Amino acid sequence: MSFDPAQLAQIAPLLVVLAGGVFLLMLEAFSGSRNRSYLMPLTVIICAIAIGLELASWSDAAHGSRVIFDGMLTADRLSIFMDCVFLTAAALSAMLSAGFMREHRFEHGELYPLILFATGGMMMLGAATSLVTIFLGIETMSIAVYVLTGSWRRAPKSSEAAMKYYLNGAFSTAILLYGIALVYGASGATGLAELGQRASVLGTQPIFILGMLLILVGLGFKIAAVPFHMWAPDAYEGAPSPVSAFMATGVKAAAFTTILRLFGTAFARPELATGVVGWANILAVIAVATMTFGNLAALRQDNVKRMLAYSSIAHAGYLLIGVVAMGVVGVEARGPVLYYLVAYTFTTVGAFGVVAWLGNRGDERLQIDDWAGLASRHPAAALAMTIFMLSLGGVPPTAGFFAKFYLFRIALESAAPWMLILVVIAVLNSVVSVAYYLRVVTAMYFREVGREPQPIRARGMSLALVICAVATLAIGILPGWLSDLAALATR
Amino acid sequence: MILTLITFLPLCGALLCMLLPREEEGLLRGTAFVTALATFVASLFLLSGFNPHGWSFVVDVPWVAALGIHYHLGVDGISLWLVLLTTFLVPIVLLGSWHSINKKVREFMVTVLILETGMIGTFLALDLFMFYVFWEVMLIPMYFIIGIWGGDRRLYASIKFVLFTMVGSLLMVVAIIYLYVRHHELAHTWSFDYQELSRLVLSPHEQLFCFGAFALAFCIKIPLFPLHTWLPDAHTEAPTGGSVLLASVMLKFGTYGLLRFAIPYFPDAMAELAPLLSVLAVIGIIYGSLVAFAQKDMKKMIAYSSVAHLGFVVLGLMMWNVKAIDGAIYVMLAHGISTGGLFLCIGVLYERRHTRRIDEYGGIAAVMPRFAGVFLIITLASIGLPALCGFVGEFLVLTGTFGAYATWAGLPHFFAHPKVLALFATSGVILSAVYMLFLYQRLMYGPITHARNRELPDLSRREVMVFVPIVIMAFWLGVYPSTFLRTIDPAVDRTVAAFKIKYQAGVQATDLPKMLPEIAASPASPEGEEKR
Repeated sequence: MSFDPAQLAQIAPLLVVLAGGVFLLMLEAFSGSRNRSYLMPLTVIICAIAIGLELASWSDAAHGSRVIFDGMLTADRLSIFMDCVFLTAAALSAMLSAGFMREHRFEHGELYPLILFATGGMMMLGAATSLVTIFLGIETMSIAVYVLTGSWRRAPKSSEAAMKYYLNGAFSTAILLYGIALVYGASGATGLAELGQRASVLGTQPIFILGMLLILVGLGFKIAAVPFHMWAPDAYEGAPSPVSAFMATGVKAAAFTTILRLFGTAFARPELATGVVGWANILAVIAVATMTFGNLAALRQDNVKRMLAYSSIAHAGYLLIGVVAMGVVGVEARGPVLYYLVAYTFTTVGAFGVVAWLGNRGDERLQIDDWAGLASRHPAAALAMTIFMLSLGGVPPTAGFFAKFYLFRIALESAAPWMLILVVIAVLNSVVSVAYYLRVVTAMYFREVGREPQPIRARGMSLALVICAVATLAIGILPGWLSDLAALATR
Repeated sequence: MILTLITFLPLCGALLCMLLPREEEGLLRGTAFVTALATFVASLFLLSGFNPHGWSFVVDVPWVAALGIHYHLGVDGISLWLVLLTTFLVPIVLLGSWHSINKKVREFMVTVLILETGMIGTFLALDLFMFYVFWEVMLIPMYFIIGIWGGDRRLYASIKFVLFTMVGSLLMVVAIIYLYVRHHELAHTWSFDYQELSRLVLSPHEQLFCFGAFALAFCIKIPLFPLHTWLPDAHTEAPTGGSVLLASVMLKFGTYGLLRFAIPYFPDAMAELAPLLSVLAVIGIIYGSLVAFAQKDMKKMIAYSSVAHLGFVVLGLMMWNVKAIDGAIYVMLAHGISTGGLFLCIGVLYERRHTRRIDEYGGIAAVMPRFAGVFLIITLASIGLPALCGFVGEFLVLTGTFGAYATWAGLPHFFAHPKVLALFATSGVILSAVYMLFLYQRLMYGPITHARNRELPDLSRREVMVFVPIVIMAFWLGVYPSTFLRTIDPAVDRTVAAFKIKYQAGVQATDLPKMLPEIAASPASPEGEEKR
């Protein structure tokens, strides 16, 4: 092993984000001023610089996979694409956080560095091509997010959420690590490409398969797939809403990137994917359980934030269809998953953002009744929320529709009858989901104002919501360029 | 270009309305009305330069090139009059809702105009992806129209409407993607093109599933018995304008979809399921009429009468011969005019008395003579009196059904005894006279039982302007059908011929699924483009 400093240039965005986090932490500690309003713009700028660096390396990344640090990391287009998603989610969540924290009086400056550290973990995860870096990325991301979840110290349910998330997270990481150990023990390799080569010999070894399944379980926790979802509703509901937005999008997207990489490279062999205990078969069952459970549970919620938490479980189920399709048609199926993650990120951050925006001090206004008549008081916000709800429900011309369409297309392309059944189940689930998404719209537009809403006034927040709403519509109406980029990112 | 203009002009109007201040209600109403009127005028230009032997005014631009999705619009004899019906009714609806919509005026104008774009786009789309997008775009504005401006049970009715429609349409999207993927396997190009996909002949098994998915979406929309239960709720709770658009235009998407997509795409499945669907259609005719007769609520009654009328349309389509299909399209147009008129008439009464109960009225003819005349004409048009619009279509459907057996040379014999169906369906014509005249009698004649009914003002000048075009069209459709049939007939001829080719290719083949050779026989886009 040798360390080549020149390779650091290839992980420049990651370094910028991590260094930016440290810088903000120091700045906040030593500035002495009680005014912390400069932190949010700085966070956004750091994210923007990182996105700029990512985009600049896009064309270089076309020439083969760029191996960094002896195959620990890569800087291929998949990682560039997903890094932009993580960074966008981070920047938008930061923009939402500023107003939210001021309104609810918990302006802790650590929040922004923590968001950046978590994003750094996600970026490492997105670029990880070795089981070791995968583990490192997951830990870096998770520990920062545990703290973020509990960052609203005075709110008991925030601490409760952090505790639940932490215990479940630690448990799942242990399982993941055990899986990694077994896979390493069976194969003697940690690099994903190398594992993929050795799998042809080792593919039938029980220890190898057991290790693979344990890794699957560990990642299943991170994406909140049923039956590993128990922590998610409480954690999403208890965390400050901007953090929930970040968790539901960034963390999920990062875990999905790892799943795509791991199961598209290391465990890609057909006998591992569609054998008796093949991961594609198992994930198909998990996908059905996840979307069905998520949607049915969301249907029963009167708390909008909790409803969004269950809906995000359901969306993990839809996304898993893309992963299952990857087991049948190959890495081509990554494109739709990437597109879906982008659409889902803008939509979900927006939806949680409106939830965050609506509450005021001492009164988060999460019940569906609190949304009654919002359209007559705040038409723009109601319109934005409607766009997000329609997009989550998959109604054209929003991004959510094209995402589902693209995903179902790749699933049907595999021409396996059970994939058709999977898609039909997903479609019926979408109908169920429309029922509860429209409950919010119904409350906002069709009911009379109950309690007068006193939403948060913050420029950053409004801007974030506008960006999310416009993006949700724009990539829904003109989906071509993004789906092309997503397809490029999978080559 | 003209199709793009017609489709998106209302949307532009909607965006303009969004920018206007909400207090300026007169300005908002005026802007929306002028936009709708301009759209209608623009759509009249379709009549000049229309080529009855193919697609006219075709626009075809790649939209998502990598996936073969095109922005592809075109019009033929089948969609031409349905588009005109839409553009004709929207200004009338806006004029009719001038005073009855007095809360959230801006939102109403915006939703109606977006709805118009969705409706026109659905009729014009020649790319299945586009078709589906427009199809769904239509849904949300109607949900808002029912939910915001509807009656007491509007929350229930609006969500029921959305969920019923969604179940069908999402299964349809699976079938669309299935077709698209299958086509790619055989032709090695990605395409959602209407003509291109129609070359695909699926195996009987696949056809049955895909037809099922398409037909479910369309039959819910029509609505075919027993999928009709959302309709009375939606119709009754919607405001007048919403009911008119729902009944006159939106129900037609179901029958239009059957005629345009489901039947031509899956001839084998059609042959299999036609008996079932035609029997359901006849049940719908009789059931709808009987239930309509029993209603105490005027709007519910018209809603059930729609079930009966649309039953005729489905019956005509299932008989799959030129005469019956011509008739089916004609019933679609006539029903659009007459039922739209009926809902507007009920709207006039409702605006004055705020009740839809039939027994609250009586003797209205004495206080509102002008209204009584208009209402009578529209009632008779709905019944199907000769010389009015309802007659021609139903007559064509019934004769087409009666003589259907002889027309099925080279086609599957969908039904052993179409004459029996015709016989039962004819009873629907009689029943409609019974319930409609009974309604007219109870509303208009007899003593005035409620004191408030004595002072009802007759039709205002605005209301007269609403009804004049409808009455003119009711007569025109009834007296001079060849204006319409001249363009409908060739298009139907082509559709039937293409069906026959495809059916025979499927029956003889053992190598399904397969692609038909490029359909050169049907004069496709080039000719239409010259016209443009």
